[in-house]
Amino acid sequence: MTEYIVKLRYYPGDPLEEIKEGDLKGLAQEYGVMISYQKIENRQMKGSLLMENTLDKQIEDITQEVITISADGEKNLSNSIRALYKKYRCPRTAYSLLGSNEAGEKIAKGLINIYGGW
Amino acid sequence: MKVLALNGSFRKNGNTEILLKQALMGAEAEGSQVEILRLTDYKIGPCRGCGLCLFRENVCQVKDDDVSLIFSKVTECDGVILGSPCYFLELTAVVKQLIDRCWILGHQTGKIQKPAAVIVPYATRGWIPYISIQSNLLLNLMGLKRINQIAICTQGISEVVLDQEAMDSAYNLGKEIALAIRDKDFTYKGEEGVCPSCHDWLLRILKDQETVECPTCGVRGKLSIVDGKISVKFEEKAWADNRFQPEVAYNHFTYHIAPSKDYFLRTKEERKTKSKKYREYLPG
Repeated sequence: MTEYIVKLRYYPGDPLEEIKEGDLKGLAQEYGVMISYQKIENRQMKGSLLMENTLDKQIEDITQEVITISADGEKNLSNSIRALYKKYRCPRTAYSLLGSNEAGEKIAKGLINIYGGW
Repeated sequence: MKVLALNGSFRKNGNTEILLKQALMGAEAEGSQVEILRLTDYKIGPCRGCGLCLFRENVCQVKDDDVSLIFSKVTECDGVILGSPCYFLELTAVVKQLIDRCWILGHQTGKIQKPAAVIVPYATRGWIPYISIQSNLLLNLMGLKRINQIAICTQGISEVVLDQEAMDSAYNLGKEIALAIRDKDFTYKGEEGVCPSCHDWLLRILKDQETVECPTCGVRGKLSIVDGKISVKFEEKAWADNRFQPEVAYNHFTYHIAPSKDYFLRTKEERKTKSKKYREYLPG
């Protein structure tokens, strides 16, 4: 059985609405997948803007919200990712699936092509 | 106060230049000093896509052209009038080349400091769909705010002088810029469009076929038909996503662009191996 692991990395301003752990739990139950959530916050208020130097940092260390989806079925995974994309929109950068396994990344990327515009 | 006209037309004393000069006369009548630059008189090289302007602040590797001079002229003036003919649906290549070179100015986006206006002469109605996207993009990247735009249907060389209404509107546009500078009032004075932010009429239908997006601002909304007319509702929260807002522009450069350095470095060996055959195939 193939195991799918997808990491969706949302950076400040990317999600269309606030990512709430309660909503993620509901989605996990609805679609029969495991979803975990990690928030990394490294911004500091400077003037009126929350700012951060990201140029020389590792991608995993900069401010972001990471939704990790684990599933053992392609259909469950696809449906859950589709729901996440519709709710928060697709992650936006070329490196936003970093940490996914190959099987999961293929599905997540295919759905970005459908739901993420161009 | 000084108003700078940027002319995106190669042709001397063509319709674009005439309309820009007419606008400058209007600005002068309100007390402005004026200057006009024909962009094709200057060397504007292509962006090399090296990314060094992003990774080493304010360093552009294209040093043998006039782009920094043009940007310094924009910095020195108080307001800008951009003119360009529209030949094929868009502004001219020299304007687009200048847009690509604006990476070096990227962090000015949203920091609106000066008013700007746009003049586009074109030949055939229905052949100008992308002029607002390009003019808004260039002006925003240069830290300017478009307060008005006129598109004039005119065709042959210098024929626009036969159209008094067009000449009057260009003159008034120049006056508007001068008054905006004087009063520090950069509110939009042109015709409203479907997008309340950039005032354009273009919409992009997303592949979910449920959402539309202003292609200029990136703001998303829902489309419906009300009393037989197309209506687009942009939710209040969507405005926070306007790509020309300072915070959105900052996030874009900080989180979408700058971290790519890490990805670039960590994939160095794999890229080198996989791209080898392309370096060797049809070497340029």
